[in-house]
Amino acid sequence: MPQIFDSGNSAWLIMAAAMVLLMAPGLAFFYGGMVKTSQVIAMLKMCFGCVVLVSILWFAVGYSLAFGKDAGGLGVIGSFDHVFMTGVGLTSRTGSVPTVTFSVFHMSFAIVTVALISGSVAGRAKMKGWLVFASVWTLLVYVPMAHWVFSPDGWVAKQLGAVDFSGGTVVELASGAAGLALAAVAGRREDFERQTIRPHNLPLVVVGLALLWFGWFGFNTGSSLGVPGAAPMAFVNTQFAAGAAMAGWAVTSWWRTRQVGLLDISMGAVTGMVAMTPAAGDLTPLWASVIGFLAGLTCAFAISWKYRFGVDDTLDVVGIHGWGGLFGMVMAGLAATGVMTGKKGLFYGGGWSLLGKQLVAVLVIGLFAFAMTALIGKVVDLTVGLRQSPHAAEEEHEQVYQNDWDVQFKEIADALRGSGIREDGKEEDPSVLLEQVRRLLEADPEQLRE
Amino acid sequence: MPSHLDTGNTAWLMASTAMVLLMTPGLAFFYGGMVKTKHVLVMLKMSFVCLALVTVLWLAIGYSLAFGKDVNGWGLIGTPAHWMMHDIGMNSLTGSIPTVIFSAFQMAFAIITVALISGSIAGRATMRGWLWFVVAWTLFVYVPMAHWVFAPDGWITAHLGARDFAGGMPVEINSGAAGLAVAIVVRKRKDFERETIRPHNLPLVVIGLALLWFGWFGFNAGSALETGGTAPMAFLNTQLAACGAMVGWPLIEKWRLGHVEMLGVASAAVAGMVAITPACGEVSPIGALVIGFVAGVVCAFAINLKLKLRYDDTLDVVGVHGWGGVVGVLGIGLFATFQMSGKKGLFYGGGLDLLWRQAVGVVVCAAFSFGVTWLIAKAIEKTVGFRAAEEYEDVPGAEEEQAYDDETIAEIRERLAQARVAVPVAVGGAGTTDSASGGVGVDAELLAELRRLLERREQEK
Repeated sequence: MPQIFDSGNSAWLIMAAAMVLLMAPGLAFFYGGMVKTSQVIAMLKMCFGCVVLVSILWFAVGYSLAFGKDAGGLGVIGSFDHVFMTGVGLTSRTGSVPTVTFSVFHMSFAIVTVALISGSVAGRAKMKGWLVFASVWTLLVYVPMAHWVFSPDGWVAKQLGAVDFSGGTVVELASGAAGLALAAVAGRREDFERQTIRPHNLPLVVVGLALLWFGWFGFNTGSSLGVPGAAPMAFVNTQFAAGAAMAGWAVTSWWRTRQVGLLDISMGAVTGMVAMTPAAGDLTPLWASVIGFLAGLTCAFAISWKYRFGVDDTLDVVGIHGWGGLFGMVMAGLAATGVMTGKKGLFYGGGWSLLGKQLVAVLVIGLFAFAMTALIGKVVDLTVGLRQSPHAAEEEHEQVYQNDWDVQFKEIADALRGSGIREDGKEEDPSVLLEQVRRLLEADPEQLRE
Repeated sequence: MPSHLDTGNTAWLMASTAMVLLMTPGLAFFYGGMVKTKHVLVMLKMSFVCLALVTVLWLAIGYSLAFGKDVNGWGLIGTPAHWMMHDIGMNSLTGSIPTVIFSAFQMAFAIITVALISGSIAGRATMRGWLWFVVAWTLFVYVPMAHWVFAPDGWITAHLGARDFAGGMPVEINSGAAGLAVAIVVRKRKDFERETIRPHNLPLVVIGLALLWFGWFGFNAGSALETGGTAPMAFLNTQLAACGAMVGWPLIEKWRLGHVEMLGVASAAVAGMVAITPACGEVSPIGALVIGFVAGVVCAFAINLKLKLRYDDTLDVVGVHGWGGVVGVLGIGLFATFQMSGKKGLFYGGGLDLLWRQAVGVVVCAAFSFGVTWLIAKAIEKTVGFRAAEEYEDVPGAEEEQAYDDETIAEIRERLAQARVAVPVAVGGAGTTDSASGGVGVDAELLAELRRLLERREQEK
């Protein structure tokens, strides 16, 4: 790697870090739009809570443990020598970019990863429990894994030699496995079996998707800056995979239900970008589209497994990120061209070795994330409590939307209930109440405007 | 041109590409907020399928036809030699940037151009017809025109010598003329004459505008393909033109309507940026401000043409993008400065030479786009069908997905409507009292049922 400062690479990494940081709000909207109206604020809070907590933790100790000097040369964890960014100054470099930028870039990864997990316990996690979980999870699960994979001394990168450039294991697979464990610990919603996702505000979901999509270009390219030309290739492949995955998901969806909804193609786009994460720069555009297409096709099935296994992975973190990341890792073992890393996949004459390494990485990280999360989740649940008691949120309910729909609905609800017993002791005449409801319905904001 | 990779230029082009790709979702929100609640999902889908389909098409063949080696030197179309990005690897360069990212940048242009057209047929096209249209239009209209203008050996650039910095012809005029053609083929909405656009969600429109605005800096300044030279000027000009238009349009609106609407201001910003698209790297900041202002004024009038000429350009693609593009492309002929573009416009002592070249470009592109689009749309209308059922009550996917969860209200309404049919006596204020004990009993039952429904829903929420 070049040791001289490169202003172009540095500019892109700053841009990429900002783009990835925008993904956390994007994710908040993506998840927030999908849940019920009464849960949207909790969902936004869970994601923004991660932004706050993980940023501080990363600055305090996370960066040092993940990217500090390896402790004992085993590649398991870093050291404490950069706690609070000690020893990292204006002139420190990592490769050809300033270390500070590099650190921020990886901080944004940590934030997104933790925020991703919130989708699997949407609408039933207690905020206090979630905040404790997020902090502990960052330190005990994310940081070690980031060291294994992203640090040049980590055992997955160095001793094992698997290919994972932008976090197919650390971010996607780990959040998927953690989501599975946490969803199991938190238990199901009461109405899990008969409920599919019914977004309360689908345009908000799509706003989130737009920001995620934009941010993902930074996500998948930022780690490839060491090799000239690799970052643009990663960029292009991300787009191709997203497009192809939308098509793939649509095919499955059409085949199963004869309908393709906006939510379907939104999830499809995410899936393609997830599958591109491990080796975006190391694939040809043709393979990128094929992998994207297959990822979309299979993830559309994977999300229905939660009903079969009875785990309430509410917003499909496991199906999309877990399975998508796993799939991308395995496909990288098959189709990596090796131009970036020198490690060729099976189809490019590298034999079975890379595929084997990919599988080991997937297996170890998947199990580690699952087991640790289950442990942390259980401890949190037993101490501060993870699962929200039913109807506890109602009291501190903030007004979500102060608009016609909401007001109209409240008025209708009031009219239906009636003003209770009248002064003369008799109940309100049903016909009068119904007439009132009819009048309120006529005052439909949309019809009024027309 | 330097033949080695420049990381700065590459970084900026990657950023620009991401920004332009964000414009298509932005456009989806811009359009989606403008239509009625029941049409918002269809509108979003129409833009998002462009993201999927055009991406794949561009990879498969589009890039090669647009930017491959010119066939016979006529400047009409490229060769398909680079299908599936054949022969383009990590080390291929276009100027000082990798070819792959140049290709992706141009792909983002193709995506947004196709998505733009959806506005002129909002709320009445079938999704199936639209899918076929996207594929055919990209290949037969966008790709050739991109070759004419953006490829260095395309005829408009190489033979005619007209200037177009960031796509006034292949993006703006093209989508405007195509929007006119499809709007005519798909016919008017039934209530076109008496209905103006009433956005169901104006903040969503403005979120869309914000993303478009952000993306446009990548669109215009990225087209310089470098960070020095014209890129910073193009960036500044983009902002100035948007603001010029945001002065011009509201003045007209105030004069004609007596007040200024947010929707007008939002459209004005778009009109200004449309107009500066071809001109941003050719004119001085003063020129940009004037072009923006003029575009605002022209477009504010142009959107009313549809009512006079009776074509249903629902979300004003023709008025804003078509006419805005014309203003910008002709504006180069007037305001081009030697320092920026190497050519002189009329006001800078270049005479009419550049102006007539620009005019020829406008006329040919508009005519080509209109003609071929009309043929494609007509063919689709005759085969798979383009116009949805007359009222468009039957919104595709409506039973499956809803934009906003107002299901409870919908259900209560339906229940009441059923009751109205079953017990006609209970209708109206007088009817309820007339119907005596029988009617009251039925009403009480209905009320109890509705209360149960409400309770169930609230528990679910």
